[in-house]
Amino acid sequence: MCGSCGCSVTSNASMSSESGANQVAAARGAGAGDSAVEVLQSLLAANDRVARHNREHFDAHGVLAINLMSSPGAGKTALLEATIAALRGRHRIAVIEGDLETDNDAARIRAQGVPAVQITTGAACHLDAQLVHQALHELPLAGLDLLFIENVGNLVCPASFDLGQHLNVTLLSVTEGDDKPAKYPVIFRASDLVVLSKTDLLGVMEDFDPARAAAALAALGQSTPLISTAARRAPDLDAWLEWLERELSAPRALSSRAPLIAAAAAGG
Amino acid sequence: MHELSICQALLSQVTAIACERGAEAIERIVLEVGPLSGVDAALLARAFEIARAASPAAGAALSIETPPVTISCESCGARSQTAPNRLLCDACGGYRTRIIAGNELNLRRVELRMAEASTMGRPAETAA
Repeated sequence: MCGSCGCSVTSNASMSSESGANQVAAARGAGAGDSAVEVLQSLLAANDRVARHNREHFDAHGVLAINLMSSPGAGKTALLEATIAALRGRHRIAVIEGDLETDNDAARIRAQGVPAVQITTGAACHLDAQLVHQALHELPLAGLDLLFIENVGNLVCPASFDLGQHLNVTLLSVTEGDDKPAKYPVIFRASDLVVLSKTDLLGVMEDFDPARAAAALAALGQSTPLISTAARRAPDLDAWLEWLERELSAPRALSSRAPLIAAAAAGG
Repeated sequence: MHELSICQALLSQVTAIACERGAEAIERIVLEVGPLSGVDAALLARAFEIARAASPAAGAALSIETPPVTISCESCGARSQTAPNRLLCDACGGYRTRIIAGNELNLRRVELRMAEASTMGRPAETAA
C-alpha cells in the first residue's frame, strides 16, 4: 500500500494478480506433463502499470510532467535552471533529478527556489516508474503546474521505461555529433521535442551542422520539432519557452498518453 | 545495461505464470524483441544467464525472436522493411510512416513442466 496516497502500488510492483487477464491460453504439449502457455504480454507491463498510476497522480493535480533526456553533460540541469528563472512568478515548477550518485543537481535546482527531489539510482542507468512514484510523494503536487523529470544522462536505457510523463523532451548538445538521432533512433523517435542545446557554442563547434541533425531526426519518420536553445553565455530560450507555454495551455486528454514506446505492449 | 532490469521483470512474469499453474519448472521462454524496442536481444540473453539463477526458470531455455522493422506509409500505403534509423517509405520517400513490426518487447510463450497429474497449486482443470 502506498502510504501517502492510499493507492495500491507497492514498492515491489509484482505481476501476481494480473497475469490472468492476459488471455492466457494453455495447450497441452506432446509430453505428458508439459504445458505451453501463449502469453503475449509486454515485458514492461509492471513498469507501465505504475507509470499509468503516476500519470493519474499528475492528471489529478493538473500537473504537466515532462521527461527530460539526453547524454551526460548535454545541459539538462542548466536548461532547467534557466527555465525556472525565466518562468518565476508565472508557473509553479518542481524537478525530480535522476543520477547514479550525488544530489548535486537537486541542490542546483533548489538554489533556484523550487522543490527538487534527487533519486540516486546507484548502478542503474535509467529511471523507472517505481522510482518516480516514490519521489512524487515527496513533492507538493497540488501546488504545481509543471514537473520536470530529469532522467539519468543516457541515450539508450531511459527510452524503454515509461515514467508516467505526458511529454518526452530529448536534448542534443552541439558539442556532440550531429548524427546522434541516427545512432540512437529509439530515444529520438520517442521524443515529442528535440532541443539543440548550447547553440551559443556553434561558432566554435565547426563539425556540428544543425541541418544534418535535423535530417537525421526527420529520417526517423516523424515530424518531431527541433528547436535551438542556449542556457548560459548568450541565453536563447524563446522557442523553448514558447513550446512550454503552448503545452501548458494545451487541453490534455487525461491519462491518454501512449507509453514511450508506442504499441510495444501486447496487441498494440 | 537495462537488459538486467528487463530480465527481472521477465522472471517475475514467468514465475507468476508457473506458480499459477502449479508447474514444476519452466522449460522454455519465447520472447519477441524488435530492433526498435530499445533492448538488445544478445545482451538480454546474456543477462538472462545471470538473472535466472535460483529462480523457477533456472533451467529454462530462452528463445528470442527479432522481427525486422517494418513500416507502412500513411501517404501511399506501401509497406517496407527498413533500418531502425531510416523509417522513411521505400516507395515514395514519405516520412509519415507507421511502425507495424520491430518495436516489440513481449513475452510470447512459456513452456512449463507440469507436476504429475496437476497435483499441486490449484484444482485440476475440469474436463471439457
